Amino acid sequence: MSLVARHLEANGIPTVIMGCAKDLVEFCGVPRFLFSDFPLGNPAGRPNDVASQEFTMELALKVLESAICSRTTVQNPLRWRENGDWKLDFSNIEQLSAEEIARRKAEFDANKEVAKNQRVAAGVAKAD
Amino acid sequence: MADEMDGLDFPPEHDVPIPYRHRIGTYYQTLGYGKPYRWAQYTHVPFTPLKKPLKDSRVALVTTAAPYQPDKGDQGPGAPYNAAAKFYKVYTQSIEGEPDVRISHIGIDRKHTTAEDINTWFPLKQLKRLEKEGRFKELAPEFIGAPTNRSQKVTIEQDCVDILAHVHRLGADVAVIAAN
Repeated sequence: MSLVARHLEANGIPTVIMGCAKDLVEFCGVPRFLFSDFPLGNPAGRPNDVASQEFTMELALKVLESAICSRTTVQNPLRWRENGDWKLDFSNIEQLSAEEIARRKAEFDANKEVAKNQRVAAGVAKAD
Repeated sequence: MADEMDGLDFPPEHDVPIPYRHRIGTYYQTLGYGKPYRWAQYTHVPFTPLKKPLKDSRVALVTTAAPYQPDKGDQGPGAPYNAAAKFYKVYTQSIEGEPDVRISHIGIDRKHTTAEDINTWFPLKQLKRLEKEGRFKELAPEFIGAPTNRSQKVTIEQDCVDILAHVHRLGADVAVIAAN
């Protein structure tokens, strides 16, 4: 999505990205970014918490209209929860046993196969 | 557990934004996939100032979510990663009613979130509320769905071009992009 923001912006359309992966978006470099320090999948607020969703959307619009130059990142002040230990878990190899790593590899290979078949069916890849 | 230093109550050092590039790189290398994914990186970043105030602007919503497809397996809430729900071409759909879009095809944090509330990844409801309140002039009549292609070349040469064409067709002045 960072690439989309860049392309729109280069063609005269101001953008704001709402997202949860701070380092990935900033590594690419985008014009305006509202970062929420939440688990991936929650760029627009916390689940079943309308106040947080309203606050987050309004903040995104404020970033859109008030940024003065590119690479503007604003961090949403809301916390996912008070305890930040959830951040230790995502794709963290140090937290996984050898058995779990093997299980995930098998799962990943199976998903890759499904995705490959999808691409072939969609006409964007050739069958083996 | 908080760290106590000189009586100062700092949070643990890991309580900062997750370093995904390092995490994901190490993860797939340990799983045995060799060379890490090369994330997009640029030194220069374009910037377009708003041409008119938001209250006079038409807003387009861009999402990575996929239309729900009943024949494509579990798409949540709480679904495991579902590659069958992926899509490969930019799509648009009317904003009327409550469009059913899901994120089971995306690498979200499945331990700490379940995708139970669409409003956390697809802020259409919030945008409609703000439109009603006059925060901006209006929403574009369709939202735009962007594929999450692994190939940056495809994203740049095909998807970005298609999305820009839709933004122009819809007469949008600005775009709100909800990433996952």
